[in-house]
Amino acid sequence: MATLSVSVAVRARFARSANLERDSGRSEPFDGYLVTGRAVDMIERLTRAALTGPAGGAWSVTGPYGSGKSSLALLLDAAFGPDRSLRSTALDRIAEASPAVAENVLQAHDRHRTRRTGFQRGVVTAQREPVAQTLLRALHAAVLGAWGRIPSAREFPASRLLREALRHAQAPELRRNGPASSTIVEIARSLAERAPLLLIVDEFGKCLEAVPDDGGADPYVLQQLAEAGQGGGLPIFLVTLQHLSFHDYLFHADASRRREWAKVQGRFDDVSYAESARQARVLVGSVFDVRDAALLHRIRSHARRYSDALSRLGIAEGTDAEVLASCYPLHPLAALVLPELCSRYGQHERTLFAFLAGADPASAASFLKVQDLPERGPLPSVGLDAVYDYFVGGAAISNLALSQSSRWQQIATRLRDIHGLSPRQTVLAKSIAVLNLVSTGGATRASREVLALALPEPEEDLAALGTRGVITYRTFADEYRIWQGADTDLRRLLDEAHERLQHRSLTDILSGMEPPRPVVAARHSAQNHVLRVFARRYVDGGDAGDPLDPFSPYDGEVLLQAGAEIPRLPAPRPGAKPVIAASPQSVTELDRAAREAAAVAAVLDDPDVGRDAVARAELEERLAQARTEFDRAFNNAFRTESCRWTMRGDPSGDRTLTAGRGSAPLSEAADLAYPSTPVVRNEMLNRTELTSQGTKARRLLLEAMIERAAEPDLGFDGHGPEMAMYRSFLKDTGLHRTGSETEEPEFREPSSESLKPAWELVQQAFRDARTTRVNVRSLYGALRSPPIGMKAGVIPVLLTAALLARRDDVAIYEHGTFKPLLTADLLERLVRNPAHFEIKHFASNTGARRQVVAALAQRLGAAGGSPRYRVATVVAVVGRLVSAVRRLDRFTLRTRDLDAGALAARDVLVAAVEPDRLLFEALPQAFGFPPVGASARNYPDADTYAQAVTAALEELSGKPDRLLAELLALLLESSAETSRQGVSAQAASLQGQVLEPDTRAFVLTLANDAAESDHDWIRAVATVVARKAPSEWADEDVVRFRLELPHRVAAFQRLAALHADGGGALDALRVILTRPDGSEHVRWVGVDGNERSEAENALDAAVARLARVTGSSQRAHRVLLALLGERLLPVPPEAEGPSPRNARRATNG
Amino acid sequence: MAETERHICGISGGKDSSALAVYLRGKVADMEYFFCDTGAELPETYEYLTRLEVLLGQPIVRLNAERGFDHWFEVFRGTLPSPQMRWCTRNMKIKPIEAWIGDEPAVSYVAIRADEANRKGYISTKPNIKSRFPFVEDGIDRDGVMRILEDAGIGLPSYYEWRTRSGCYFCFYQRKAEWVGLADRHPELFERAVAIEQKVLQDAGVGGDADFGDQAMRGRSYTWSGGESLPQLHARRDEILRKHRDALAHSRRSRQNVPLLESLADALDEDDDMTPCTVCAL
Repeated sequence: MATLSVSVAVRARFARSANLERDSGRSEPFDGYLVTGRAVDMIERLTRAALTGPAGGAWSVTGPYGSGKSSLALLLDAAFGPDRSLRSTALDRIAEASPAVAENVLQAHDRHRTRRTGFQRGVVTAQREPVAQTLLRALHAAVLGAWGRIPSAREFPASRLLREALRHAQAPELRRNGPASSTIVEIARSLAERAPLLLIVDEFGKCLEAVPDDGGADPYVLQQLAEAGQGGGLPIFLVTLQHLSFHDYLFHADASRRREWAKVQGRFDDVSYAESARQARVLVGSVFDVRDAALLHRIRSHARRYSDALSRLGIAEGTDAEVLASCYPLHPLAALVLPELCSRYGQHERTLFAFLAGADPASAASFLKVQDLPERGPLPSVGLDAVYDYFVGGAAISNLALSQSSRWQQIATRLRDIHGLSPRQTVLAKSIAVLNLVSTGGATRASREVLALALPEPEEDLAALGTRGVITYRTFADEYRIWQGADTDLRRLLDEAHERLQHRSLTDILSGMEPPRPVVAARHSAQNHVLRVFARRYVDGGDAGDPLDPFSPYDGEVLLQAGAEIPRLPAPRPGAKPVIAASPQSVTELDRAAREAAAVAAVLDDPDVGRDAVARAELEERLAQARTEFDRAFNNAFRTESCRWTMRGDPSGDRTLTAGRGSAPLSEAADLAYPSTPVVRNEMLNRTELTSQGTKARRLLLEAMIERAAEPDLGFDGHGPEMAMYRSFLKDTGLHRTGSETEEPEFREPSSESLKPAWELVQQAFRDARTTRVNVRSLYGALRSPPIGMKAGVIPVLLTAALLARRDDVAIYEHGTFKPLLTADLLERLVRNPAHFEIKHFASNTGARRQVVAALAQRLGAAGGSPRYRVATVVAVVGRLVSAVRRLDRFTLRTRDLDAGALAARDVLVAAVEPDRLLFEALPQAFGFPPVGASARNYPDADTYAQAVTAALEELSGKPDRLLAELLALLLESSAETSRQGVSAQAASLQGQVLEPDTRAFVLTLANDAAESDHDWIRAVATVVARKAPSEWADEDVVRFRLELPHRVAAFQRLAALHADGGGALDALRVILTRPDGSEHVRWVGVDGNERSEAENALDAAVARLARVTGSSQRAHRVLLALLGERLLPVPPEAEGPSPRNARRATNG
Repeated sequence: MAETERHICGISGGKDSSALAVYLRGKVADMEYFFCDTGAELPETYEYLTRLEVLLGQPIVRLNAERGFDHWFEVFRGTLPSPQMRWCTRNMKIKPIEAWIGDEPAVSYVAIRADEANRKGYISTKPNIKSRFPFVEDGIDRDGVMRILEDAGIGLPSYYEWRTRSGCYFCFYQRKAEWVGLADRHPELFERAVAIEQKVLQDAGVGGDADFGDQAMRGRSYTWSGGESLPQLHARRDEILRKHRDALAHSRRSRQNVPLLESLADALDEDDDMTPCTVCAL
């Protein structure tokens, strides 16, 4: 059996891209070149113009990548050039498609008498440059083609202009806009007056892309040139070749510019260079040459069968059996989908021909070489599975337009990951894959019927693939899918999104995007051991708003100018953080990238997309790409070197910063704004937000500052982070050190120069606090602002050091309440909420007040806490007083049983808010002294007043003991004992006896000889009696105790007497009455001698009377006893239930 | 080694730990009693502790006096403790206890009764602490505890009239009927709890309230009691009390001769079954 290649030949067709400069003048590109319908169309248009009038024309040829535009340019160049052999090769190719057009070319030459010389031709590939520049190169090429040099002005009148323009093109500034349009038109005219001029500009889109960048390029040069070659003008033939229409290239330019270019294109005859799918199939058909008539016959009947089937399915494209036959060895389905596949995912014909004729093992040509031709039976063909293998499985297509690749990727990934399919299933799956790729919802889709054409009787295998989850059947589309199926029209949505965005300013669009990341002023940060970070935001022109808040974590702000105007920077004021404007040279690129990213992001929010996982995936991919693109554009626009950096300096006006490299302008701004930053060589502490480890270390440091200020190194040892913080910020700066007059270290003014401005700022705040309280948060704000710019993490440490150094004259208030002591817990709160704290400075007093403070300090033993401030201060004295009051128990705080002075003093101290008001007004008045005036020179009562205060404090602090002493005396008196031991001994005699619980507790407490002191003992007794500790008592409790104690003692003593061996009242009886609920009531009853006989008589009479009713005197006794018991019992709390059922009678002993 | 061992006994303000303190009086030399003060205990608890101190004849060490609830509320800028974020237990109980105990060997006496031997109190995981359970060892049950307290003349803390355990007045483990009890007995504390729920610390100083409404956890509204704010809860006062009485009656019917305290606890336990804060209820 012979292989198919014996009977079927492949015509070699070009399958590589042409290059004008390289291929011009060579015949090789035309080997096997097939002139397609649209090429013929273009050549015909040009020749018709050349034949009919003296004038030329202008054509803009628009077609996708790989559709053969450059080859067309070469063909035109050859057909109208002077080289006869090249021309005849070109004309042969044209004649293959249309002999009439080839003939017309020759006639055009005749009409212009150019058979020998050819047209003058300027054929160039455009670059990103002004149009005029491109045209200049084309004209130069035409001149060189005609003369081989630039001729003299005599031979060529425009030669001086041309030379000058070429010389100017060397100078960068002039190159920016290219030569003047009049120059170009003049040179072109000059040439065209000699002979027809054919100018061909390939890749013209590059010129158009450059338009918005340069802004200045003149679109009219093209218009003028086109007009010069039209109507009654000169024979100038201008052909531009590009991928998109002018308008599409200029999508991102502003509207007026787009209108200008639309007008220009209006001068051109627009030629669409896209091949229809049907034409593409004709092209495919031209590749294969079936030399065996018998085979041709088989192929035709094979094709007819399929065309019938396809027309039954309503697939109109497949009904031409002739075309299907010409495509053999392609399977009709493959022939059907290939053009669409190539135009959608590849580079059109270039890809198509590579598949058909290329050397790749998966190509159709290779198929012919290896496939045997059976004598009979079905014809082997290149099926959809082979198309899949080449296009998806192979590496043939690597250059996909990424925006469309997600469906492709999804399908490819899906099939690659599936193993173990049968050969039939594999064919089926791949066929479905290819159909999915090209499907647009028409009849050409992976329906059961279409698949049956690819593989007869596919049902069973379709079911198997479905079960394995390889494919799903989509009922709504009547289609099997490997691709999960994005049904959303993304292109439309994106176009609409772009449309909507057009009306929005760039700043507006940027503000909807992720805010630009803050940047570090690197050089300044390194030099000053501090991280200076600038926030960035976009601004339009106009007012830039206020500088950053002092509490912002950033040290300044960079305004990125996205509008045309330079923003108006805020007027400088002291302490304001720096504001810098960055004005880029151009935001065109940024604008384009931002709009694309915003459009994609907007579409991603579309509810339809939200429901469509595939569309979402595709858009996300696209968004990532758009963001990358945006980042690049952002970096280009705001690169330090390409921006103008302005800072509002002193009132004299804005100051331009040196651009330099990297963050140089920011460092310069930071230098200017923060000249007084203290050097803190501890990165853990010197930052805005501390890490959790840093927070812990700082807490330990602050605690040690409070609690161990007098110890060397604050009592730290080792190398922990708190030690590092201590060394770098407190020790090395001299904030914590020994002075000449002391042995122990203490907090004092720093010796480090760099810390002095910050220290001075705090001292100034202390001085300001003499008149009004200063909120700590505002102090934080000042330290964080220029010119200090301290980091938030360090401030509490500095502030604590300053407060400790001035602890005796600076008072702290929390939520408005004076805090006599700077404690660790207070600092912990201060660090978190500085706004809740205020400071006030109590200036050293003079005259009267000084006398008073000194007198009080002496009495209270409150000299200055620190040796450096030996003068006693208001804060120190008040601290003593408040602490003394704090130690009082609740009884002392509540009782009115105090002498008048102590009482008044206590109430004043409890209510005190302001230390100086307390010391100089309220407290003296409490004792009947006049207030101590702020300006009084002398206060004669100073010492008496101080004496009264100390007396009152003594009275107050001694009150609990006096209360206990009083209670003890009361107890001893009630029990007629002289010492607690006596009482305890009495009580001890009752230990072990069965006692009623309340009595038992009282007895046990009395008996407690473990109490260390009388006061401990009486305190416990009082607590049991009052069920409340004396320290918690109020005056009423004392009264109640006085009343109750004698009764309790008497009861206890009677009990003790009762239990004493042989002792006690002989006639006493203990009667216990028990209620049905179990509660017992005990009564001691006794009868004294006088009453006894009388009582016995009465009882006998009563018993005798009752016995007549009850029947027996014994019964009468019981009834009486019960009734008496009932009367003796107190009324029960819940008056219910029967009366006591029994009364127990007991005697002593 | 043994002679340097510390002996410690934690007191919660509840009946069991108080009874244990009384029970161990004079039995263990150099016993140290401690109480973790949240600064937010009920007034009844503080009053009861003072009574207990007097009876013990020695002070109960108040741990944490400087950093109570108000302190942490300020430090955490209005972030409330909750069963999910129980910073109260961590910062006001466990940390101060462990800091106070330190690393010396210590014997901790834990007030778990003989009749509840499977309850878990705060049993330290620190290796230097040994736990002892005197009530379990000596077979002392609920009646025994009551007898100890009666004998000592101290009785029960008075909050037992309306609440089953000690702890902060705003404890989020409180039952709804207990919140109503707080509103009835201590309207000012209830009002304070309402304010705290709204991230406001009332009368933080002369300057007035400390409002953390716009600080941490902004926009998150947390309620002390599940599903409703305290004002909403209080609006349902009568309904809550009715349900509570019904539950109480039901519990009484189902168990004869149950002391009031016990039936109260049982009834209250029925309306929710959260694990109470074991440290608070030590």
